[in-house]
Amino acid sequence: MKRRPCQARFHPPAWRCALLAAACMAATAASAQDRFAGLLEETRPLATRWQTDYRGLLELGLGYTSANNFMAGQYNGLQEQGATLLGNLDWRSFAGAESYWQASLSDLGLDTREGELRWGIPGKLRLSAGFDHQLQVRNNSGATPFVGDTALSLPADWVSGLTTGSWTALPDSLQRFDRELERNNYHLALDSRLSDNWQLGSSLRYSTRKGTGDVGGAIYVDAASGDAVLLPAPVDHRTLEADASLGYSGERLHLQGSLAWSDFDNRDDALRWQNPYSSFGPRVRYPAGEGALALAPDNSQTSARLSGHYLFTPRLRLHFDGSYAVAQQDQSLLPYSANPALVALQPLPRDSFDGEVATTHSRARLQWQPRPKLDVQLSYRLRDRDYSAPRDGYRYIPGDGGDQSRPELTVYNRSHDLLSQTLELEAGYRLPLRGKLTLGYAWEEIERRNAATEDTTEDRYSLEYRLQPWQSLSAKLGLTWADRAADTYQWDQSWFALLDSALINATPDSQRYSNHPLLSQYYLANREQQQLKLDLNYLPDPRWSLNLNLLWREDDFDKSVLGVTETRLQSLQLAASYLPHASLQFNLHAGVDRYEADQGSRAFRGGQEKNAFATAAPLPQASDPTRNWFLANRDDSLVLGGQLQWQPEERFEFELDYRFVDTRAQQDFSPVAAADLNPANLPSVDTRLHQFDASGLWHWQEAVSFRLQYRYYRYQSDDWAWDGVAANTIDKVLTFGQRNPNETVHYVGLSVLYRWQ
Amino acid sequence: MPVRWLLLTVVLCLPPLVASAEEDSVPDCLGCHTITADVAVHAVFQTVHGGLGGGGAGSCIGCHGASTEHARDPAAVMPGVSFGPRWQSPAEARSASCLSCHSGSSALHWAGSEHQREDMACDSCHDSHQQQDPALVAGESQQACLSCHTRVQAELLLPSRHPIAEGKTACGDCHNPHGSLGDASLHQASINDNCLQCHQEKRGPFLWEHPPAAEDCSLCHRPHGAIHERLLTARGPALCQQCHVAAFHPSLPYGSEGLAGGGSGNQNVLGKNCLNCHGQVHGSNHPSGARLTR
Repeated sequence: MKRRPCQARFHPPAWRCALLAAACMAATAASAQDRFAGLLEETRPLATRWQTDYRGLLELGLGYTSANNFMAGQYNGLQEQGATLLGNLDWRSFAGAESYWQASLSDLGLDTREGELRWGIPGKLRLSAGFDHQLQVRNNSGATPFVGDTALSLPADWVSGLTTGSWTALPDSLQRFDRELERNNYHLALDSRLSDNWQLGSSLRYSTRKGTGDVGGAIYVDAASGDAVLLPAPVDHRTLEADASLGYSGERLHLQGSLAWSDFDNRDDALRWQNPYSSFGPRVRYPAGEGALALAPDNSQTSARLSGHYLFTPRLRLHFDGSYAVAQQDQSLLPYSANPALVALQPLPRDSFDGEVATTHSRARLQWQPRPKLDVQLSYRLRDRDYSAPRDGYRYIPGDGGDQSRPELTVYNRSHDLLSQTLELEAGYRLPLRGKLTLGYAWEEIERRNAATEDTTEDRYSLEYRLQPWQSLSAKLGLTWADRAADTYQWDQSWFALLDSALINATPDSQRYSNHPLLSQYYLANREQQQLKLDLNYLPDPRWSLNLNLLWREDDFDKSVLGVTETRLQSLQLAASYLPHASLQFNLHAGVDRYEADQGSRAFRGGQEKNAFATAAPLPQASDPTRNWFLANRDDSLVLGGQLQWQPEERFEFELDYRFVDTRAQQDFSPVAAADLNPANLPSVDTRLHQFDASGLWHWQEAVSFRLQYRYYRYQSDDWAWDGVAANTIDKVLTFGQRNPNETVHYVGLSVLYRWQ
Repeated sequence: MPVRWLLLTVVLCLPPLVASAEEDSVPDCLGCHTITADVAVHAVFQTVHGGLGGGGAGSCIGCHGASTEHARDPAAVMPGVSFGPRWQSPAEARSASCLSCHSGSSALHWAGSEHQREDMACDSCHDSHQQQDPALVAGESQQACLSCHTRVQAELLLPSRHPIAEGKTACGDCHNPHGSLGDASLHQASINDNCLQCHQEKRGPFLWEHPPAAEDCSLCHRPHGAIHERLLTARGPALCQQCHVAAFHPSLPYGSEGLAGGGSGNQNVLGKNCLNCHGQVHGSNHPSGARLTR
C-alpha cells in the first residue's frame, strides 16, 4: 500500500528534501524486497480518502442476472434470473478510549445477507451480535414424481412396473424441484478483559439449515434385487452451541481454558417413500409397499479444553493443548422396516442407540534454542477416540423388501476405537546467506479396533533448506520420505466382528471374509511416501514479483495387490505481479495439477466361487488371478488467472479479473485376461470455466460515488454419470434426469455509495 | 560579570532541561501526521485501535512506542517500532508490539508456529491502519493467505468447492494462521473436529459407522476444492472400489459399456453410482442399515 509522504511541521531546505526523497525511494525498494510485503496489497492501489475518511457508508443499487443458474449462483445468491437489490451498510462511531459501536450489513437484497452489531470499550469489553444467511444451490434441473416432505408418495394415477421404463405415468408425473439448502446463523458474543492478566470470552450460536437435498434409497431383499430411487431429502436441522473461555496471561505462563457445548437437532427422523416398483409381493410393491431411511440422528457434544505455554527461560518454552470431548447420540431407533406387514419375529434389542464417543487430544511442543543459530522442537500428539456403545445383534429386514432375516444372519454393531500417537523431533540450524537447514524425524503409531489392520507405525524423515542468497531471491526446498508399516492384514477382522457365530461356523474357512484377502485398504496399508517441494520467490526489480511453487509426491503401497497400489501428485504454480506505477498493478497466476491413482480389484462371485485360497485348477473366481482388473485414474486441472487494477486518477478506479479453469478426469482400464471381463475405458469428464469480472468506481463528490460491476460466467461439464440419463434410463434406478451444467450468465450491477462523517 | 556568568549558566543548562521535559511528554504525532497529509494513518481512529492509550497520540504510542527520537528528527530516525513502508523494524519487534495485548486466545501458540518460523510478523497479514483490517474480513482475508499458498488458490477455483470466494467460509474458519499444535494449524484438534464444526449432522456416533468417515474426512474429501462432485478425491464407483472388493457387484469393473448411450445404463455407474443404493455413506442409524443403505 502506498501512503502519502509525511509532511513535516517545518519546511526543510531543498537538499534535505532531496535526501529525504532518496531515503524514501530506497526504503520503498527495500520494503518491496520483503517476501511478505505483497500480502497487504489493498484491493485498490492508492489509499485515498474515499476508502478511509468516513464514519458511515451506505451503498444502494440494483443488479441484474441474465439467466437462472445453479453454478454461477451456487453460493452468492444470484441463482435466479432477474433484478436484485444491492445494499451494504457500514456505520461506526469511535471516540478514542470511549465506548464505540459499529454496525454492518451486506448483501441486503440477496439470500446471502449478513450483518453484525458491535459495541465495546477499547481494550476492555466487546459485545457483538450478528446474523449470516447462506444459500447453497445444487443442480436443480432434475425432477421427481414424488410429492411430500418426509413421507414421499406417488401420484394417484401411478402405473407401476418392474422397471422404470414400464412406468407409463412417469413423464407426466415429473415435477421440478429446487435442491437448495439455506443456512441461517445467529451469534452473540462477549469478550472482556477482566484485568491485565485475565480475559473472559463467551459466545452463543444458533444455526438452522433448511431445504432439500438428495439421497439414494433402494428396496431389496439382496444385493442383486435393488429397486432404487433418488429421492428429494428434506433438511431441517438446528444447532445450538455455547462456549465460555477464561484466559490468563502472566509473565511466564499463558493459559486458556474453555468449555463448549453443541446440540444438534434434526426435526426429521426418517424419510419414507412409496415403492414405485412392482418387483416383490403385495406387502412390498406398489401401492402398499414403502421404504424408509433413517435421517441424521440428534446428537450433542460437550467438551473442555486447556491450552497454553510456559516460558522456562527465553530459550526454552513449552506449549501444550489438551481437550476432552464426549459426543452422545440416543436417537430412538426406527422399526426394522417401514412395511408393517413384513414379519419381524424378534423385536429390536433396544429402543435407542445410546452411543457415546469420548475423544481425548493431548499435544505438547517443547521449543529449545540451545545456541543462537540452533533451535530444536520436540512434539507429541495423542488422539484417543473411545467408543462407549452397547453392542447388540440386529435381525434386520433387508431393504424393506422381505421378512426378518434368519437368526444366523444377525449382524452386530461395532466400535471403532482409535488411538493415534505421534512423536516428532525437529532441529533447525541457521547457515550463511540467510540460510536455514532443518532436519526432522517423526514416529507415528495408530491402533484401531475392528479394522483389518489393528496397528500401523510410520517413520517420517524430512529435510528443509531455506536460503536467500541475494535480497531479491529466496528459495525453499523440502524433501520428505516416510515409511508406514502395517501389521498383518486381517481381512476377516471386520467380518468376524459384524456377523453371528452361527453364520461364521456355517461358513467354510476359505470364504470367511467380506473384502477379498488380497485387498489392502489404502489408509491401513504399507506405504512408502516421497515428497519434494520447491518454492522460489524472485524480486528482480521493486516493480516485479515472481513466484514458483512445485510439489511432487508419490505414494507407493508396496505390499498391496488389490486396492490402491500407487498415487502420484504433481503440481506447478506460477504467479507474477507487476507494479509499473503506484496506480497500476497486474497480477497473473497459472497452475497445473495432476493427480494419478492406480487401483486394482478381482471380480468374483459368492458361494463356491468365493474360495480365495484354492491353488488347483479349476480355480474359483476369487482365487483366479486372471480375473484381476486394474484402473488408472488421472485428474488434471489447469487454472489461469489475471487481474488488473488501475486508478488513473483519484476519482476513478477500475479492476478487471479473468479466470479460466479447465479440468479433466480420465479412467483407463488395463486389459483383463478373463474373457468375460472386458471393461471399456470410460470417456473423460471435462469441465471448463471462463469468468470475467469488471468493475469501475467513480468518486463523483466527496460524499457520493458510483459503482458499476459486470460479470461474465461460462461453465460447461460433460459428466457421463448424468449425460443423457433421463429419469427412467436406468432400469432399476429412478433418477432426477438432471442435465449437466451448461451455463452462460451475465450479471450487471449499478450502485451509488454515500459516505458521511 | 556575575550576572553574565549566571545567564550563561542558565543558557547552557536550558537545552538539556528542555529535552528532558520533552522526553517525559507525549509526542505530538498528529502534529505531523495530519489528516490531510496522512489519510491512511488517521483511518486507525475509525477502529478500536484508535482508543489505545486514551486515544489520539496515545494510540500511536501504544503500537509504535514512545518514538521520542523520531519526533525530534522525523526524517532521519524511525519510530520506536515501525511497520513500514519507509522503515521496517525486525519481524520479532513488530509482532511483539501486537502480542503485548494479543498474546492469548488465537495467538497463544504464535511462538514456534509455521508463520512465525517463516519470519512473518503480524503486520504481514494485518493492517490496523485501515477502517476494516482486511485480514478480519472473510471475503478479503483469503487474499493474504493465497498470495503464498498458491496451490490452494488454484484448488479454490475448482468446480466443487466451499463458498470461500463468496466470503461465507474463510481460511481462518478452519486454520489458525497464528499457529496451533495440530496438523496444518487447524483450530480444532483433528480434521474431523474441524469439519464437524459446520457439519454436525455427521457427528454421530452412528449405530453403523463407516470407519474411514469417523477417522478422517480427508480420506474421501479434499476440503479446498476438487474436480469431482462433493469435494471427492475420486469419481465413483472407483472411489468406493478403492476399499471395497467384495463378492458380486463391488468387485466388478465398470467401464463405458454401462453408460447411457446403449440403452439401459448400469445402476452402479450412472447417477450417484454406489450411492444410488448406499446413500448413508457417513453412517446409518437404522437397525437394518448395516450396509449403509438405510
